[in-house]
Amino acid sequence: MAKTQSTPVEKAARLFDLVPYISTHQGIALSDLANEFNLTESELLSDLNTLWMCGLPGYTPLELIDLEFESGYVTIRNAEVLQRVRLLTKQELVIILLGLDILSSSIDQSRQDLSLAILRLSEKIKDIVGNVAAASAIVDSTHRAAIMQAISARVDLSINYYSTIRDEITDRQITPLELSLDHGFEVLNAYCHNAKGFRTFRLDNMKTVAISQSSVNIPEEIEISDYQWSLRINARFRTSSERFRITYKARESNEPEEIVVSSFSQDWLLRNAVSTLGSVEVLQPLTARALIAQKCQSALELYDNWAFSK
Amino acid sequence: MSRKTERLVNLTIALLATKRYITKSEIFRTVDGYEGSEESKERMFERDKDDLRNLGIEIEVGTFDPLFEDETGYRIKPENYQFQLGEVDAREITLLSLAAEAWRGASMSSSALSALNKLHAIGIESDTELLLDLAPAIISQDTNLALAISAITSRTVLSFSYLNEELEKQNRALEPFAVTSRFGHWYIIGEDLDRKAIRLFRLDRVVGECKMQGKSGAFEIPSDFDVNDAFSHSTDLSSASLVLRDGRAINLRSRGVAMPDKTTPVGWQCFQIDYSDRERFIEEILWYGNDVIVSEPLDLRNEILNRLKLGLATYG
Repeated sequence: MAKTQSTPVEKAARLFDLVPYISTHQGIALSDLANEFNLTESELLSDLNTLWMCGLPGYTPLELIDLEFESGYVTIRNAEVLQRVRLLTKQELVIILLGLDILSSSIDQSRQDLSLAILRLSEKIKDIVGNVAAASAIVDSTHRAAIMQAISARVDLSINYYSTIRDEITDRQITPLELSLDHGFEVLNAYCHNAKGFRTFRLDNMKTVAISQSSVNIPEEIEISDYQWSLRINARFRTSSERFRITYKARESNEPEEIVVSSFSQDWLLRNAVSTLGSVEVLQPLTARALIAQKCQSALELYDNWAFSK
Repeated sequence: MSRKTERLVNLTIALLATKRYITKSEIFRTVDGYEGSEESKERMFERDKDDLRNLGIEIEVGTFDPLFEDETGYRIKPENYQFQLGEVDAREITLLSLAAEAWRGASMSSSALSALNKLHAIGIESDTELLLDLAPAIISQDTNLALAISAITSRTVLSFSYLNEELEKQNRALEPFAVTSRFGHWYIIGEDLDRKAIRLFRLDRVVGECKMQGKSGAFEIPSDFDVNDAFSHSTDLSSASLVLRDGRAINLRSRGVAMPDKTTPVGWQCFQIDYSDRERFIEEILWYGNDVIVSEPLDLRNEILNRLKLGLATYG
């Protein structure tokens, strides 16, 4: 909760924000105020003690800001000059603009009133900062809300999911465990009752998400199998690394390196290998090499088939 | 340490309360905290002005009395200090708060928090029903995003080291115009100073931290610049006709236009699909293995055949 020691300037900025906040929330409990500003109570007390020394030139009791907080509840008087809510900095406006974009692209079509309200706010902000930021949501925010609700209530979800690996859309019942990130994509780690194993679901591939009527226990004994393939990248280093989700770093030499990648899904590894036939060679295991050959063979046969031949 | 904080607050109060410009000597005489030699007071004042400017508080400089033109005075106009989005209602406060809240836990969370504090200070209660079923989130942990945004808002040149397709580091210097997120990644767009053209960079391909270079206000963002145009302005599109197995290649299918007139075997359908990057498109087609057959153009079809034959030769 406590943040790192703030600089005098950061502290001043916070005081400018505390004054109008207390003015509109007279009598707020110290703990609530600390919470709102993400401070510990002692940090807040230090802020209030500093504020107490400030006021108009002259600095007699008539000019000083009058604060009362000994009771554990905060009130403020004689702070008219600073009572105005401070303007949003350009940086804050830009992040709000991005947030509004994300919000807007994840709002249900039926809420046109909200979309319009968001548009009006965005236009106001763009008038101030320019058209310098845009974001598109790839995750429906109502889906995320349902997932977060299910995690905290410990109930299952029914999802309609597009698996890029299997290239199909299926209905699944899952027990959600936690939200996390995988190479820039927001994912849900969950137990899938259909696949009978732990799986990672990309939020942007969920077509529908609903709280399930019944919840099922996760079986105590479950197997997680992990496939490990070793490979060598010969060309298109950056793209190939991205495909296999290898954390890339600058290349030190021109010697091709052998890299081990792992996944619970053999099919994912296989598809990636065929996709990068021109730039990556899978070295081990030999069974993987045989599978790739088989994939190539079956596609080539289709091209030779009379119906697809030219 | 808190002396400095007090001085900044007192200076702001004094400059905000005054209806006329007040001179430096008046400030030194009346505002608490300016001490020491004339020279050190000057230095303090200059630094304080910069610090306040960085907080978005603009101190206006003017002549306080037309009869003494050489005496400069200072003040903060209330309209330059206060919340600038005008009157907002409960729903707008909720939407703005949700937009800031989306950054919770991400790289911009301290700016998001101070924005939230201001929004809440307005004293209008949020529409809590709206809050329940919306949970937008921005998931960047990349500290370079924060640097990029402050470089854009302060008009400062940004330099960084960027990984190219060969995974070699290249030094780039950019007048940053905009940031945008596409397909789960953040991009920064601007005028590349070496290549003298608008370029875009994926932030996660930047190695190490971006650095601000030189002074703020070093360039202007062209007034007709539009971040969405900049992104869609890419190379010319090509088009291919692909035969897709029913129910498969779902992502390709959703981008394409069905061509029901073309004859295909039962269980397959022909689609016309546009692409810009040929190599990426080839890799995408291969990803789907024997669920996608390229019909036209011939050179694309031949390239896929060559890759598959290469695969068979390598692994067979």
